[in-house]
Amino acid sequence: MKKNKLTPYLFLIAPLCMYSIWVIYPIFQTFVVSFTKWDGMTKMRFIGLENFKRLINDNYFGLSLLNNIKWMIGFVLLSIPLGLIFALLMDQKFPGHKIYKSLVYLPMALSFVVIGQIWSWVLEPTGGIVNAFLKSIGLEQFAKPWLSDPKIVTYSLIAAALWRQIPYAMILFLAGLKNVSKELVEAAIVDGANSTQRFWYVILPALKPAMVIAITVNIIDSLRAFDVVFVMTRGGPFYSSSVMANYMYVQAFHNYRMGYGASIAVVQFGITLGFIIMYLLNVLKKEERD
Amino acid sequence: MRKFLVICFAILIVFTVLAKEKIIVNSYMSDPAPRKAFADLVKIFEEKYPDYEVVINTFAHEDFKTLLRTWLAAPKGTADVVTWFAGERMRYFAEMGLITPLEEVFQGSRWEDYFPASFKSTCSYDNKIYFIPQSWYWWGVYYRKSVFDKLGIKEPKTWDEFLNVCETLKKNGIAPIAIGTKFPWTAAGWFDILNLRINGLDYHIDLTAGKVPYNDPKLLKVFEYWRQLIEKGYFLPNHAAYEWQEGATFLFRGQAGMYYMGQFIKDVAPTEVKDDLDFFRFPVIDSSVPLYEETPIDGFMIPTNAPNKKGAIVFLKFIASKEAQEKFAKDLGRLAANVEVTPPDEHAKKGLDMIVASSGVAQFYDRDTNPEMAEVGMNAFIEFMQNPGKINSILDRLEQERKRIYSK
Repeated sequence: MKKNKLTPYLFLIAPLCMYSIWVIYPIFQTFVVSFTKWDGMTKMRFIGLENFKRLINDNYFGLSLLNNIKWMIGFVLLSIPLGLIFALLMDQKFPGHKIYKSLVYLPMALSFVVIGQIWSWVLEPTGGIVNAFLKSIGLEQFAKPWLSDPKIVTYSLIAAALWRQIPYAMILFLAGLKNVSKELVEAAIVDGANSTQRFWYVILPALKPAMVIAITVNIIDSLRAFDVVFVMTRGGPFYSSSVMANYMYVQAFHNYRMGYGASIAVVQFGITLGFIIMYLLNVLKKEERD
Repeated sequence: MRKFLVICFAILIVFTVLAKEKIIVNSYMSDPAPRKAFADLVKIFEEKYPDYEVVINTFAHEDFKTLLRTWLAAPKGTADVVTWFAGERMRYFAEMGLITPLEEVFQGSRWEDYFPASFKSTCSYDNKIYFIPQSWYWWGVYYRKSVFDKLGIKEPKTWDEFLNVCETLKKNGIAPIAIGTKFPWTAAGWFDILNLRINGLDYHIDLTAGKVPYNDPKLLKVFEYWRQLIEKGYFLPNHAAYEWQEGATFLFRGQAGMYYMGQFIKDVAPTEVKDDLDFFRFPVIDSSVPLYEETPIDGFMIPTNAPNKKGAIVFLKFIASKEAQEKFAKDLGRLAANVEVTPPDEHAKKGLDMIVASSGVAQFYDRDTNPEMAEVGMNAFIEFMQNPGKINSILDRLEQERKRIYSK
């Protein structure tokens, strides 16, 4: 009996060791590095909070943070409702629904790097299909340099990322819809509820757990945004589409400022942690209630 | 059983004798043409030195730049030889002791027996040589002869003639100047040549060494000239969406007229266009300033932590030789660093003549400047190209960065 209790822990030792070495330890190391001035090669020099003070006055960091917020708003306001609509549609059985489902689901199977590459072609200013399409239907005035105009470039990147993010939300909601009890829906029909009422008062409340997960995941994903930016614009032109992760990469690996890069990582970590704690509190509260 | 062991032992011995010593070369030659040229060169080396086996690891140019430091800084080295750039970029690592002095390559001979004396300073640090040059090239204004002929355009010699050429091209529906600034170094080429033409080489060297403030009025003049081209719409529209190769396709297709670029633009040109490509010297702006050009030098270094330094030296001795330099220069139409090698073709001869007739040369903005300053500087050039009106605030910010970066 005693042996049985011990077994799961024994199994956990190996992954736990690896996790500590490759995940936990570097996180602490990043904290240490963020208080230093270090080029990654010569000796580290401890400079206290200097890096963080600099961050406050760094316009490009501010711009990157602002872009992250744009990503967050875009992800939550677009991928959640659209994902829900797609999920509700795909939950029906209609001729060819499997084909439609696969088509919507397809981008999910691709990595952000591939998506970035594809969308670089789609948004290419002269030969890209978006501008070519606008031209062909006589809306040439709306054709834009999607990736080189500092004012719109971030939105173009978000659009590309949404292509993958919406089906992701859809999957979460489809799973949630499976948990909606059929009896409740039928009872609502018997009581004479129309489809709108059924959606608002029966289906949506049942989807709340899926909704919380979808929102949290989307917020965290928006804070992690990096790959699409890196592939499509490298944060350019002149940092206008940069996000925190991207700016950290440039500072640490292009400018040889490991300490400064680490301080950006710490800020990003703090913000992400805030959202994760909020999510966990929500879950805990719910468990208490149940 | 015993027989079996004996056989095993014999096989083992044969293998140890036959086993070749490995030389690992990390290379940034990722475009197809230089990649093939380098692989061919290595094949010749392996035939000449059968004891060695050369392993080439090729990385995309931009990735190579970030990865190099991790190879150099790791306590246990992985690469024996790495490709790199002469000048400040090399010196940065030499200063930290991360690369090895290469005097052994010249045993019994002198630098001057191999390479031009004028290259020596840019390949050494603290009077020691750290860099073996392989090839070098010039920058010029590239154009298509057939397009110029069709429109009756002659190579411009002065700034006014240059503006006229731009105007003619624009009138004919051709973007006068191709450029792709997704990676911002292409804009640094424009900054360099305008500064060289307006303020001269000494000023340019002081500036790239961090000794001149970026809000110096003399520097503002450079941006005023640049601004004329931007505001007249002479640069390829949406250039920030393109990499330099994508920018070049506009030139190759005849949709753009000129491209201020290094000779390596020929590496990516389709064969049917290659012979139609020609270049001219960047026009004179101030006739009292002597002519200076950009001539980056590419070559090799040995990391301090290289596992097989002996092999690496043998390899670089071969690279420095006339035979190896001639082959590489011929394959790519570049100029060999070795003094005994003549220019491989007419085009290269024209380039060499241009450089010989000039009063001095610069490497390139990001090769002459501290890396961090280069990153900030090059992004500022792009910002200027999109918002030329903001030049004063852009330069003020650059000046703040210069003070911070060079104060350490």
